[in-house]
Amino acid sequence: MWTYVARRLLQSLVVVIGVTLISFMALQIGGDPTYLFVSERATAQEIEVVRHALGFDRPLHVQYLSFLSDLARGDFGQSLSYRQPALDIVLGALPATIELAVFAFVIAIALAIPLGVIAALNRGTAVDGSITILGLLGQSIPNFWMGIMLILFFGLYLRWFPISGHVPFLTPLLAGDVVTAMTNLPRTLYYLVMPGVAVATYSLARNTRLVRSSMLEVLGQDYVRTARAKGLAERTVVVHHALRNAWLPVVTMIGLEFGFLLGGVVVTETVFSYPGIGRLLFNAINQRDIPLVQCGVILLAANFILLNTIVDLVYARLDPRVKLARNR
Amino acid sequence: MTTVTRGASRAWRSMVAARWPLLALLILLAVTTVAAFGPWLAPVDPGRQSIVSRLAAPMTADPQGMTHWLGSDVLGRDVLSRLLYGARVSLLVGLAAITVGGAIGILAGLLAGYFGGWVDDVMMRLADMQLAFPFILLAIMFLVVLGPGVGNLILVLGIGQWVTYARIVRAETLSLREKEFVEAARALGDSTAAILFRTILPNIVAPLTVIASFNVASVILTEAALSFLGLGVPASVPTWGSMLAESRDTLLANKWWLAVFPGLAIMLTVLSFNIMGDWLRDLLDPRLRERQ
Amino acid sequence: MKNLRYFVALGAVLVLIGGALMVMRSGPRATTSTVVVGLSADITTFEPANISSRDNMNIAHHIFDSLFELDEHGKHVPALARELAISTDGLTYTYTLREGLTCHDGEPLTAEDAAYSFNRIADPANRFTGNAPGFVFTSVGFQKAEALDPLHVRITIARKNPIAFGLLTEINIHCKDSYEKMSLDHAATSPVGSGPYRLVSWTRGSEIVLQKVGAAGAFDRIVWRIIPEASTRAAELIAGNVDIITNVAPDQIDAINGSPTAAVQAVTSTRRMYVGFNLAEPFRQSPGGRAIQDAKVRRALQYAIDVPTICRQLLHVECERATGLVNKVNANPRLSPYPYEPATAERLLDEAGWPRGAGGVRFPITLQAGRGRYLNDAVVVQAIAQYLKDVGIGVDLQLLEWASVYTPLIRQRNAGPLFFLGTGGALWSPIYDMNDIARVDSGTNYANWTDPRWFSRWDSLIDAATPEESRRIIDEMLQVFYDDGPWLHLYFQPDFYGVSKRITWQARPDERVYAYEATPKS
Repeated sequence: MWTYVARRLLQSLVVVIGVTLISFMALQIGGDPTYLFVSERATAQEIEVVRHALGFDRPLHVQYLSFLSDLARGDFGQSLSYRQPALDIVLGALPATIELAVFAFVIAIALAIPLGVIAALNRGTAVDGSITILGLLGQSIPNFWMGIMLILFFGLYLRWFPISGHVPFLTPLLAGDVVTAMTNLPRTLYYLVMPGVAVATYSLARNTRLVRSSMLEVLGQDYVRTARAKGLAERTVVVHHALRNAWLPVVTMIGLEFGFLLGGVVVTETVFSYPGIGRLLFNAINQRDIPLVQCGVILLAANFILLNTIVDLVYARLDPRVKLARNR
Repeated sequence: MTTVTRGASRAWRSMVAARWPLLALLILLAVTTVAAFGPWLAPVDPGRQSIVSRLAAPMTADPQGMTHWLGSDVLGRDVLSRLLYGARVSLLVGLAAITVGGAIGILAGLLAGYFGGWVDDVMMRLADMQLAFPFILLAIMFLVVLGPGVGNLILVLGIGQWVTYARIVRAETLSLREKEFVEAARALGDSTAAILFRTILPNIVAPLTVIASFNVASVILTEAALSFLGLGVPASVPTWGSMLAESRDTLLANKWWLAVFPGLAIMLTVLSFNIMGDWLRDLLDPRLRERQ
Repeated sequence: MKNLRYFVALGAVLVLIGGALMVMRSGPRATTSTVVVGLSADITTFEPANISSRDNMNIAHHIFDSLFELDEHGKHVPALARELAISTDGLTYTYTLREGLTCHDGEPLTAEDAAYSFNRIADPANRFTGNAPGFVFTSVGFQKAEALDPLHVRITIARKNPIAFGLLTEINIHCKDSYEKMSLDHAATSPVGSGPYRLVSWTRGSEIVLQKVGAAGAFDRIVWRIIPEASTRAAELIAGNVDIITNVAPDQIDAINGSPTAAVQAVTSTRRMYVGFNLAEPFRQSPGGRAIQDAKVRRALQYAIDVPTICRQLLHVECERATGLVNKVNANPRLSPYPYEPATAERLLDEAGWPRGAGGVRFPITLQAGRGRYLNDAVVVQAIAQYLKDVGIGVDLQLLEWASVYTPLIRQRNAGPLFFLGTGGALWSPIYDMNDIARVDSGTNYANWTDPRWFSRWDSLIDAATPEESRRIIDEMLQVFYDDGPWLHLYFQPDFYGVSKRITWQARPDERVYAYEATPKS
């Protein structure tokens, strides 16, 4: 296992460097970003000074290599628009997004399993039909639209949930202020409900259908028939025999799922005025704040790789048929 | 020939039996027809503005005496006409992106699976990079710099899809390359290209079709999200996603028709593709077939 | 399998928590001691010398004060300083400070601090690029600032400038002792000024909390919330969680006015919206770029656009079309707005030698615009493109990403040949509005205009002995601009503010949002 982890780490390094190269190229093909960082009355000479100071007068490969060497020393550089260390800014926005993603993730998994099982057990009935149709609907609503409708209906019309904003939980917790974190927690969750639902809808719908179909598949297998034939209670059959196998495909999805949820976060954070990393990076891209974008992308990629490594390890434990070399 | 006929009739019977796929097929046929003939069906030029009769409710006539059956939008453009034109662009973007992504993914997957070794390593690291990079950020980066355009959008959305196909094709190719019929083709001296595309590929088409039908749906949704962020197609080109995105400021003012009609169009189409995907999977997936 | 049972249990618990939370309704965050403002754009810094956006300046103005101020009518009024004496050659400005001023760090605020503020901004080692060094200092030709004694500070500028006194109101005075101790990094997040409020907390992308320091201001706390989506902003206002919102979408005005909690205030701002004709050399290669070199073509296009209808339909406001680049109070009264006469436009275009050709098109031309910056900009610019198409101009409309694509084009004076833009103006001097095109090589002469009838008059305008003489020259220049200028005149941008009925607050035309002016309604 340790050789596996070591190889995984090495591969991850290649992946992260590749990711930085992609975003570096993407942000540079639009041309010299200097003009975004000078005042509109700047003379050609002043512009030249700023260009030099920001290092944009160097050849591209030199710029990239110097970025890498700084990175190797743990220096992510200064954000060009905030003029603060990029890492501080990204780390400031990350906790809020992690809260949102975890919340959405829990909705997407915790509700999907019972719904999928119920649908599968009642195959062909009205219950199955309505769960299936709702699942399909959930997969066809754009999340920004879902967000605005949630705001107008549950936020403004019914006034059940706060319309926008965020109450920090992780930030005080990480700062060691457990009391504030715990006092905030109910409100953190309360503020997370609507953005969380908006982010989770698509995944929830997809996972429900995934659980349903893998459940159906498992229910038709011999060992389940055998269990039934042995006269075991239906509940025992479902929970102990069918489900433990049926939710394996869902576990496989977990790692990918997280990356997917982060994608939905950019739009949802804008709608709900949520101070997370999605909106931060969207703005940074628009401002061509290259160090900030790089820093955010590296952390997100590292996060993704870490999660998937963990998922693979867990999966190997859960399902002995799977060898770790599978995903070479 | 007879196997084809038998396959088709089996497909048809299962479709009729399941009912929903039949409905989905009808919807998709209708959408395709609209996409093909939209410009002739549309009552007016979808770009024609009339700002004095903007936000007209459905079934109302504007001062020029033209009835907006589905209302008019923020610039007084006819919603029905834009919906009909939008079918073409939305479908084109969806299908073209799948084609681009599928083509790259299939090629990468075949090469990785068949040759293994460093080819496989390179392909899989590229795939890892793609997966580790939140796609929406990648899309935003390229679209911000490249500017709006249908071509750019298709390219970016297509690139976002390739990994899914590459992984499946690679896995299938890995298992197929040692099979007898592939060995036979090799022994007969077929070129590598012929083995890859004529011997192996036809055997993986089934799962790919299923994945593709699900992906059209997610591509259409991603296009809508990008429109919401102000990226995607140019302002003058109607797509369902951009129409929905344009409705955002009028939702509070209850101009429901701006959101409901493109929303319904997206929903029905995405729904139909999903139902077709489900049905195709049941039909083509041999494991499921054995059970039935 | 135990894990599974946990999952199911977790789901159930979540549902229960959700239910419990639903009961506990969201209490409004605005209270009797707090006023909440919803802004559309994020702010980036509290470094006074790096601030460049209006929202950012507005918040900073609660923390920092300036020597003088411009009030809502554009009148120059005392603030930290009580008097200003300008030397006869117009090169030195001597301010007399009020006595007994203190900084938030407890130190007294003296002429020393004022001089330090100016010189720190100008110090090239700091590489500041905000509004203060980039716009104010370059416009006035700032030389140096010196403290003559604890109450007198003298600013020296390079050349006589009739609007320098107004521009200098934009300089924030900060406190020397604190700033000398701070690194630039640190200073960007911890402002130390002498204004009515001080910064309590700043969560990037989310909210800024200010706490009252002195006696001014009715509310103890001001919370600025960043809410980028217009629908969300309006919903928060209607729900009573926010007291003032900026940039109300025109289509949401009725919904807000129909609510029992809030109403919309509309003001015509000083921001001049126009379509520029970029006359730069490279564009002359294309037919469109060549066509607009002819003043007659430019004038023809003025007749093609129905500005009052654009205002009424797309901006939800009645407006009078602009006659030039100067705000209406200072405009040349003899000029009347170009009317909407498409037939005249077509006739003039025919006469200018650009008849309709194949497909009814006279010449193709690119119209570029940023999106998401000005009120309903994407919609307005599409309407303009349609009006131009109606008279046979083959418009290729390009809506570009504001910051990353359009701004660099504008800065390099490369946008166009037609480009849509809005430029902030002022009520207190026509010269402020004209100053954008002070020299052919001005960075803000985005249209690359070179008309000698305009540029040759600047020297005599600066040296004008009397206000009457100055006014005469201005009117001559405005006539040239009206007839043959580089702008397709549009309108002054209306600004819509949503204001809760629980407070009294008056929106200003100069885009300044000062929440300390708000008072609770009893």
